[in-house]
Amino acid sequence: MSSVKLDGQVQTEWRWLIAAYLFLAGVGGGAYLAGVIADLIGGADWMTVSKIGVTLGLPCVLVGTMFLLVDLGTPTHAWRVWMKPKTSWIARGTIIIVLFMIFAAIHTGWLVWPFGSPLADDASTRHLIGVHGDVFAFLPVIHKGLLMGYNQPIALWHTALLPVLFFVSAVSTGIMAVTLIGGRLGVAESQLTILANIDVVLLVLELFVLVVFLYNAYRTVESRFSAQRILSGPVASAFWLGVIACGLVIPFFLELSGGHGVAATLAAVLGLFGGLFLRFSILAGGMISPIVAGGFEFARVARTKDPMPAMGKLPPS
Amino acid sequence: MARYGMVIDLKRCYGCYSCVMGCKQANHTPPGVFWSRVLRGEMGTYPSTVRQALPVLCNQCEEPDCMKVCPTGATYQTDDGIVRIDKNKCIGCKYCMMACPYGARYSVEEYKSYFPEGPPVSDYEKFCMQAWEEKSGNGVSTKCDFCIDRRAGGKDCACIEVCPAKARVFGDLDDPESEISYLIKTRRGFVLRPEVGTEPKVYYLPPR
Repeated sequence: MSSVKLDGQVQTEWRWLIAAYLFLAGVGGGAYLAGVIADLIGGADWMTVSKIGVTLGLPCVLVGTMFLLVDLGTPTHAWRVWMKPKTSWIARGTIIIVLFMIFAAIHTGWLVWPFGSPLADDASTRHLIGVHGDVFAFLPVIHKGLLMGYNQPIALWHTALLPVLFFVSAVSTGIMAVTLIGGRLGVAESQLTILANIDVVLLVLELFVLVVFLYNAYRTVESRFSAQRILSGPVASAFWLGVIACGLVIPFFLELSGGHGVAATLAAVLGLFGGLFLRFSILAGGMISPIVAGGFEFARVARTKDPMPAMGKLPPS
Repeated sequence: MARYGMVIDLKRCYGCYSCVMGCKQANHTPPGVFWSRVLRGEMGTYPSTVRQALPVLCNQCEEPDCMKVCPTGATYQTDDGIVRIDKNKCIGCKYCMMACPYGARYSVEEYKSYFPEGPPVSDYEKFCMQAWEEKSGNGVSTKCDFCIDRRAGGKDCACIEVCPAKARVFGDLDDPESEISYLIKTRRGFVLRPEVGTEPKVYYLPPR
């Protein structure tokens, strides 16, 4: 086997725009999930929390999909995107997201209808729509993990842990978004404390999944370069400062100290940033593993960005 | 129906990059796009090391992952097994570029000049840009199609024609009498990344 250190091919196609979509779909789906569960378990006392969560679902996912559209090479053809759900995760994802947005729109429309909301009185119909919406909120959250996991050449993503990681992070950031807005809209302090406590557990769980994910990546030969890229390479600052410090450790201690006041706001804002950086780190860490043939490891020879640096500059025409 | 494939003899290939340049010239690909590429590998530790070149191109897989992940059906297979892209259906989501085990797909936002700063200047570059936009297009996924237009005109693939070492052979894998079937059988032909299960149709003959 090769003894020289070779760089694989770093994927450069999916960057911040896709990270922003992943993040917003996660926040939207997570907040909606949390909102419906608050309604199912908490009942009338938790109505404000539930309304905030459900209302956040649609706009977040909608804005997220706008980022996806901007990232497309030919957005004018975008209407074709659902054509092959049999084999393509992007086509499946489009259908799932559209269904989620329909459920979220119905739910939000009835719940916050200004002229006396019919759903507010009819608990069973509201729960029924909520549970169906939750199924479709759960799917967009994990779908991108499955989508990225299908890519066999990028070994870092080719794992069943990715949807789990995205799910835990989505619910955690979703609850943070609810707390952030809930603090302004006068949700009871006791309820905010309960949300913060749930989020503390989720942060620990997220850290655990992240550690297992990266350990697994490091122990696999194909994805070791990717893991090194995240832990000590060019993505390291985004990972250690953005994900670990901003997204996990600081919110953990802030939320432990109580779920309201300035500390809670700061925890939620930092945690949300951490969620964005988590998606970016995983995307930017993706590398196509080197081709191995006949005992050789092959990789593209690194070249500078400018194809002909020696050509000099042309005079202005 | 024929099932076209290619054999690349690594014993003959000495990594001169002729195939890379021949492909660029024949297909008018813009800077940064390499439908045909050469990878470099090294084995052993100094002073007993060996270097080896590995020319790669689209493997025209029998079970292409790029076709499976395509959400619009823009990537399709012709009857003779060549994987092509319909530029009018491609939305440019770049999912196929992630899924290809051989990194064979490229996409550019616009046709840039080979000269620094600005759009194409010479008449030749303008011609190339027009040819590229007609055949492949900007913002969509592009890749090698075994020079389908050249072969329709009775010529060989560009990379085969320019190879000075005659390291490349093109032919019908289904025909047991063809040269490439014979070479694969007698010279222990192998494929790259067989574990991915895409059943590639570009075979390699071992360097030693």
